[in-house]
Amino acid sequence: MGTGCFKKFRRTVCYTPGIVSMEESLDPRVNRLPGTGEWKQEYEKHSLDQFPTFEVFVQAKEDKPFQHEGIVHAPDSNFAFLFAKEQYSRRYSCSGMWVVNTQNVLVSDYTENSQNIYDTLDLDPEKGPLMPYEVFHLMRRGKQHKHVGRVEASGKNHALMEAKVKFDSDKPVMNTWVVKSSDIFQTQNEHKTIWDTLPLKQFREATDYRGGEKIREFKAKQKE
Amino acid sequence: MYGGGNIFEPLDKSNIKDEDPVKLAEFEARIERGEKIEPTDWMPQLYRKQLIRMIEQHAHSEIIGALPEGTWITRAPGFKRKLALMAKVQDEVGHAQLLYSAAETLGKSREQMINDLINGKSKYSNIFNYPAYTWADCSFISWLVDAGAIVNQVANSKGSYGPYCRALERICIEESFHLKYGHHCVIHLATGTPTQQKMMQEAINRWWPPMMHFFGPPDKISVHTEVLMKWKVKMATNDECRQQFLDMYVPKIWELGLTVPDPIINKNQETGKWDFSEPDWEEFKRVINGDGPCNKERLAVRRMAEERGKWVRDALRNSEEQYVTPLA
Amino acid sequence: MVEKAIIDLLYKLADDLLILGHRNSEWTGLGPLLEEDIAFSSMAQDKIGQSLEFYKILHQAGESDPDTLAFLRNADLFHNCQFVELPNAEYDFSLIRHFLFDMAEIIRFEMLSNSSIEIIAQAASKFKGEIKYHVMHAESWIQQLGSATEDSINRLQKSLDYALPYALGIFEESKYEEVLINEKVFGGEKALKEQWEPRIREILETTSLVLPNFENLIPVYGGRYGDHTEHLQLLVDEMSEVFKVDPKADW
Repeated sequence: MGTGCFKKFRRTVCYTPGIVSMEESLDPRVNRLPGTGEWKQEYEKHSLDQFPTFEVFVQAKEDKPFQHEGIVHAPDSNFAFLFAKEQYSRRYSCSGMWVVNTQNVLVSDYTENSQNIYDTLDLDPEKGPLMPYEVFHLMRRGKQHKHVGRVEASGKNHALMEAKVKFDSDKPVMNTWVVKSSDIFQTQNEHKTIWDTLPLKQFREATDYRGGEKIREFKAKQKE
Repeated sequence: MYGGGNIFEPLDKSNIKDEDPVKLAEFEARIERGEKIEPTDWMPQLYRKQLIRMIEQHAHSEIIGALPEGTWITRAPGFKRKLALMAKVQDEVGHAQLLYSAAETLGKSREQMINDLINGKSKYSNIFNYPAYTWADCSFISWLVDAGAIVNQVANSKGSYGPYCRALERICIEESFHLKYGHHCVIHLATGTPTQQKMMQEAINRWWPPMMHFFGPPDKISVHTEVLMKWKVKMATNDECRQQFLDMYVPKIWELGLTVPDPIINKNQETGKWDFSEPDWEEFKRVINGDGPCNKERLAVRRMAEERGKWVRDALRNSEEQYVTPLA
Repeated sequence: MVEKAIIDLLYKLADDLLILGHRNSEWTGLGPLLEEDIAFSSMAQDKIGQSLEFYKILHQAGESDPDTLAFLRNADLFHNCQFVELPNAEYDFSLIRHFLFDMAEIIRFEMLSNSSIEIIAQAASKFKGEIKYHVMHAESWIQQLGSATEDSINRLQKSLDYALPYALGIFEESKYEEVLINEKVFGGEKALKEQWEPRIREILETTSLVLPNFENLIPVYGGRYGDHTEHLQLLVDEMSEVFKVDPKADW
């Protein structure tokens, strides 16, 4: 049963070792691909072939906090933003986006069992000029970090201690990220228009594909 | 979309005994409590290895999965289908990105993962080694292969590893669009002209056997996965997933006047389970090990895409940059 | 006469966007980096969506429905410039085309958003956010690759030299140019080109790429009058392959 359906159409991609020609693909795009000449048998990428990673924070609506959504690989923060815009905001709504190189996200310890990180946080603040740091809280395992606000500090430890002063409340915080504000690529007001037409992209939504009516018509016809 | 929770190779369980028993107990207790494991937590080597393998294979399945439907991207009939298919195939690439990102948090770089795919060291879902001959084949994939993937993905999204679950939640939302779009396409073909109906029925006849392979070999001949289920890496057995799929979708196929090419397929009123002809597991093994109609082409296209794009990546690479494991 | 002029303008707009969107969609799944693949595909979807908007306006004006216009016309009835129908070749050409075309498009939409024809002005305004992103994306790539390595600069320069005569074909004047300008429907191709040249020059001057003297270039015209390369009929045949199995069927 069944396997014969594909057997009679079995083809081998015609290729001489090392040189691939795609003239027999079912995909016309593939048939237009040029051969790329001699290939080494073992494929090997340079260790930074896919570029470093940037953490992406999305603000779904004005006045909502920026929330961590994931990463993009990019050569710099400008590209990271351009990529993140399509990977993390091609649906729903978006009014702002932040991207920051993963290296520049400074992470506190994680707590266990609903302990509050700020209860046990006791770090020696660094000395030096004060700079703004953005603070992000993770409230529960499995959730994402959310922006809670900004502090002025001279380094990572100082920023965490300032966050303890400013943002500690009765809800236990599981983990804190602090990021120097100047390390973050932030979209500006003039960028907001790039998300204007998101509500028009209904073709990306399940709701645009209602087939119930056609099924009902078909069933009715079959009964006749 | 993807077919698995399948671990295609046998488990190497030997090193569980070498793990710190206190830490292992805490780890298992956390999972038992329903808490997520996050990247900085202690985890047994086996857990890390198996998750990397599973998430990586899932990611490879997405990027390879973009190819059979991508075959029809330039030929989708009408604006509605054209836009939808472009969005759907784009989503598959997006899912690959999300999944590679989740696997990266466990310590394997994207470069290493892509190397392993192209060198044939990593596997991907078998179903994508079959050719999409017609628009109806493309529609079958969009509906029923995605439906199969959703069964797996919904189950796995309740698993234990935080980054994988978060990726799956995003993916499941987008998959609902894929499912409705695919069903919409099949409905139109099945209720359309005689030519369209024939095209659709023939596509179902071709794709049904690989679809029955999709959830992997039956539990009775599968690789032992008890520890993976205890650690909530694998959330449902192959048989459970297959039964769920049949229960949800065979009636939907029948209500469109289409048949499934299996003379005995039916829901057994006594057992409440679906009876079906045993799929050819030798064919499954052959195809997963490289001998399917499209294996060579899929990898060759993937390799070619990487080769063609290399100059772009080489040009913008900053050799002073450092790679750092992503956070979440 | 004004009506004929407007119809001609709309076909030009819609056909350029459809054909380029189609070409750019060919990269989906085959791009040089996953993230860039996703971004390029979104922009292709944007362009197809924009073309659909203009085909809908054409339909309201009495022309056939969008699917018929897109999937059942022969190549010689298309009004796109030849530039957009050229095959993708390598990514350098696609990026150069993206840069040269989208820079013209953002200016064209800016001009059209002041059109005396309300429905065209509205459509052009609606898309200004999309095209803003497209231009940001194109500029970033050209600026980076145009200054990166000898290899990337050479590739881009070759593509730029090849593309420019075709790009100038974007500005081929319609036989209704004067009517469009006088009736304030559209400020005209000449005005568009005059704004386009300094803007692309400004970006290219930040790179190692050399923009040749336009006086020495012969624009490739003909597309606006149905005169196309052999590539367009192949494209159109492929695009309509399934649709033509039964144009009356509901797909």
